[in-house]
Amino acid sequence: MQKISIDPITRLEGHGKIDIFLDEEGNVANAYLLIPELRGFEKFAEGRPVEEMARITPRICGVCPEAHHVASAKAADAVYHVEVPPAGKKLRELLYSAFYVADHTVHFYILAAPDFVLGPDAPPAERNILGLIHKVGVDVGKTVIESRGKAMDIVGLLGGKTIHPVGALPGGVSKAIDEEERARIEAWGHDLVDFGLFSLQLFHDVVLGNQAYLDLILSDAYTTPMYYMGMVDENNRVNFYDGRVRVVDPQGNEFVKYSPEEYLDVVAEHVEPWTYLKFPYLKGVGWKGFVTGMDSGVYQATPLSRLNAADGMDTSRAQEAYEEFYSTLGGKPVHGTLAIHWARLIELLYAAERLVELAADPEITDPYVRNVPTATPTEGVGIVEAPRGTLTHHFITDERGIVQKCNLIVGTTNNYAPISISIKKAAEAFIREGQVLTEGMLNRVEMAFRAYDPCFGCATHTLPGQMPLVVQVRDADGRVVQVLRQNMR
Amino acid sequence: MNTLVLGLGNPILTDDGVGIHVVRAVAARCLPGSGLAFAEASVGGLRLLDLLAGYGRVILVDAIQTRGGRPGDVYRLSLDQLPASLHSSSTHDLSLPAALALGRRLGMDLPADEDVILLAVEVGDVLSFGETCTPAVTKAIPLAVEAALTELRT
Repeated sequence: MQKISIDPITRLEGHGKIDIFLDEEGNVANAYLLIPELRGFEKFAEGRPVEEMARITPRICGVCPEAHHVASAKAADAVYHVEVPPAGKKLRELLYSAFYVADHTVHFYILAAPDFVLGPDAPPAERNILGLIHKVGVDVGKTVIESRGKAMDIVGLLGGKTIHPVGALPGGVSKAIDEEERARIEAWGHDLVDFGLFSLQLFHDVVLGNQAYLDLILSDAYTTPMYYMGMVDENNRVNFYDGRVRVVDPQGNEFVKYSPEEYLDVVAEHVEPWTYLKFPYLKGVGWKGFVTGMDSGVYQATPLSRLNAADGMDTSRAQEAYEEFYSTLGGKPVHGTLAIHWARLIELLYAAERLVELAADPEITDPYVRNVPTATPTEGVGIVEAPRGTLTHHFITDERGIVQKCNLIVGTTNNYAPISISIKKAAEAFIREGQVLTEGMLNRVEMAFRAYDPCFGCATHTLPGQMPLVVQVRDADGRVVQVLRQNMR
Repeated sequence: MNTLVLGLGNPILTDDGVGIHVVRAVAARCLPGSGLAFAEASVGGLRLLDLLAGYGRVILVDAIQTRGGRPGDVYRLSLDQLPASLHSSSTHDLSLPAALALGRRLGMDLPADEDVILLAVEVGDVLSFGETCTPAVTKAIPLAVEAALTELRT
């Protein structure tokens, strides 16, 4: 068996490593994504007051601290059996909506757009945000930075700090807002809705207007039908902050809908000896290996899966975009991995519209934003939708609220098996017997991975085209017959 | 000229927090004065740009892992010497040099490349959760503090 490795320069850098195994004919037999995971968070959490976790878990990942902050806050609410007052809930969701706008903006413009605007075969040196600005103009870049800036200012105002929010406490939040702050947030919110519409228009013009890209999105190389997971409200509309978690099967029918405290009845984790990270799967279907379909418990948790798992979006412009999405791509559910990018922009628009709705709600300036807990703490689960997938925080405490045990399933963990499968599928399509490997081929495999916006707890970080890659092709006797390097000396 | 001394790293990931420990120690050695600011951050790229805007000079202190490096070594690096690394490059963000280039392109008030200095401490363990550094790295903290103070005096 021949092996191709997409391997970083040194394992000390903690990157994920992709191994592609070829068979004797030189076609792809298997692909694996190996993760050196951050070790020992569950141990580190033991002995800490559960209300501290909302200030500690954001530091697991400097990219989506808001998601961990809010998940831990909700888990602490559950541990203390305390209900958050309406204004407190709305303020948390307002912060969360602003965070979503910022986060999805960064992913789309920095990471995804370059592939589509400049093309997957463009040289790596151009295939980045600077190349994007060169092509579409400085004004687009300014709009992106300013919009993201406004969203982050809202997060900072509500959360106390832009970088690691501190505002959520068990039972609510620590700060109410006054009318001046509310009006400012609402005004910015309208700008962000415009920005969401602008982004979708850009996607239409550049991606959907180009048949080659549309074909790429619908291509078999990037299509993997599987189960889809996402949080929904009581009307089965997408909600990032609260609700129940719904899973639909590859045909789009509801498979299960669960409340946070039921998650262990639904999701289990499979272990492989060659990687630290475990593979979540649906207990009700079972682990059948690295395959997808009705009979495999592998599920996806991404913007695409959230749209697939829901019956619609709760705001009007996002709902229009949702309907157009499905009618363009042939109905529900959509299985194309690259469609995740489009779904991400629909979510960006929804987050901005939701932000305006919440900011315009008269109750948002109510000073009653927290119920101080009085019950004895025991155990609780908090779930939110992180941009990268369903995020679950579970704490068991003693009677003083000191953490005894902790379990986290972070966004990307849900997608570990799907990512491996998507990489393999893309590799099979683009790496064939007798072909000389090109950077463009490697990039197409990387695109499968990148669409999930993966975040392995800070372990795997690279830009499109700047990922240090070495691909070694070995023949059946293990001899290196071809080497491809990218950004490595 | 306004100077920012910025400690980067994750303070709950053992050696990864060294930059933050160093900057706290430097701040304790400096009198509050005009034009000198201290900050700490556990982010990179675009989020970092938010912090750098408005300063004429920036001294960053961070952890680094290099091929063949010994934990506890301290380096002084300029921007063009920055290798692609664990935390300066991200799947969700920009590398520092790219972020600065972007910011300048869009008219942000950012320090020139030659006014951004990185003091980097070679580290061992950045994958285990912990609030203190390993012994070799802990020993390097005073050296990095002196290096930072030397920069500030020039």
